[in-house]
Amino acid sequence: MTDGSDDIVKTVRTFIASNFYLSDKFKELDPDLSLMDTGIVDSTGILEVIEFLEEKFEMVIENDEIIPENLDTINNIEKFVRRKKGL
Amino acid sequence: MPLNKEVMNIDPEKEADRICHFLKEYLHEYKREGYIVGLSGGIDSALTLSLCVKAIGSKNVFGVILPEKDSNPISERLAREHAESLGIEYVVENITSVLEAFGTYGKRDEIIRKIYPAYSSNHRIRLYLPENILEKDSINFFSLDIMEGDEIVFSTRLRRKDTQVILAATDTKQRTRMMHLYYHAESMNHAVCGTTNRTEMIQGYFVKYGDGGVDIEPLAHLYKTQVYSLSRHLGVHQGIIDRPPSPDTFNSHVSDEEFFFRMPYEKLDMLLYAWENDMDEQGTASMMGLGTEQVKRAFTDFERKHTASRHLRILPPNMM
Repeated sequence: MTDGSDDIVKTVRTFIASNFYLSDKFKELDPDLSLMDTGIVDSTGILEVIEFLEEKFEMVIENDEIIPENLDTINNIEKFVRRKKGL
Repeated sequence: MPLNKEVMNIDPEKEADRICHFLKEYLHEYKREGYIVGLSGGIDSALTLSLCVKAIGSKNVFGVILPEKDSNPISERLAREHAESLGIEYVVENITSVLEAFGTYGKRDEIIRKIYPAYSSNHRIRLYLPENILEKDSINFFSLDIMEGDEIVFSTRLRRKDTQVILAATDTKQRTRMMHLYYHAESMNHAVCGTTNRTEMIQGYFVKYGDGGVDIEPLAHLYKTQVYSLSRHLGVHQGIIDRPPSPDTFNSHVSDEEFFFRMPYEKLDMLLYAWENDMDEQGTASMMGLGTEQVKRAFTDFERKHTASRHLRILPPNMM
């Protein structure tokens, strides 16, 4: 937990679990699970994730950064936040 | 069949006959005397009208043109000209006052004013998705442009709630049109003929109980490029054929490609065909002169839109 990675994963996971419908199949919310391919988060839902990240981690996400590589899994989000915050 | 350019080829005469038979059978089966076609000035409704007239003659087909204050005036002119060239009876009913009474513009404008307080009736707006997905990967999100004349004075990515409210308000235009079409259909014992094509149907580019609220969908098996070839064969108004397809729902022009599909129809239809038929990405890429990554991105976009729009294509589940 020294670099805060677990905290980011936990924060994002809690946000997704409380704001999006998770069927029994995806209840565990594996951090490598594609949020969009599984339908947990749709294209408007991803905007809510972005708004949450911007507010929670005090950062601005540019349009160019709204790509699956940054936002499609919890682990991708964690890496993206760390990169943006210079952690 | 391997992917090749011929997969989009149709025998237009045979196809028109097949659809005409389908249209006639429906009337016979459900005891209706004719068809109501909502005419938008676009190619899908123009082709639908031509097919209905070919199937049952102009006397039993009634056209309804339903412009509102954000519609491009060219749309009404083209719709009228096409209806007149086919010798059908039609009516033009401007639905602006109905939409105003419901609050369509008010609900939408309230959101826009929150984002851009100087927004007024002198401004025009457009919504669009990120650029061509074949050129650049991106998750779909809507951006809003506010224009003064041809100049963009403000541009922003829309937040989730704002996107939902603007789209919900906009969808009331199609639902209001549906209500008008059914008024005419019931008063004439006609059926409402839909205009959604396969490219739109698969990806959910229609409004449930709006333009999707119809009795029969004679174009739902045809890709957009096939709609074009059948339209050329049946002599649809050249001005309609030449016109870039658009939802025509915002007062500043946005194309179907910019608003929803994120690639030109010619590529879209071929890729959609390959995706529907589980063709491999590498072979598809090599046939179409694209990279495998580009094809993967297109397939992912289709899959997500198809999944997200599943509820649009089903009847309400029930426990009967």
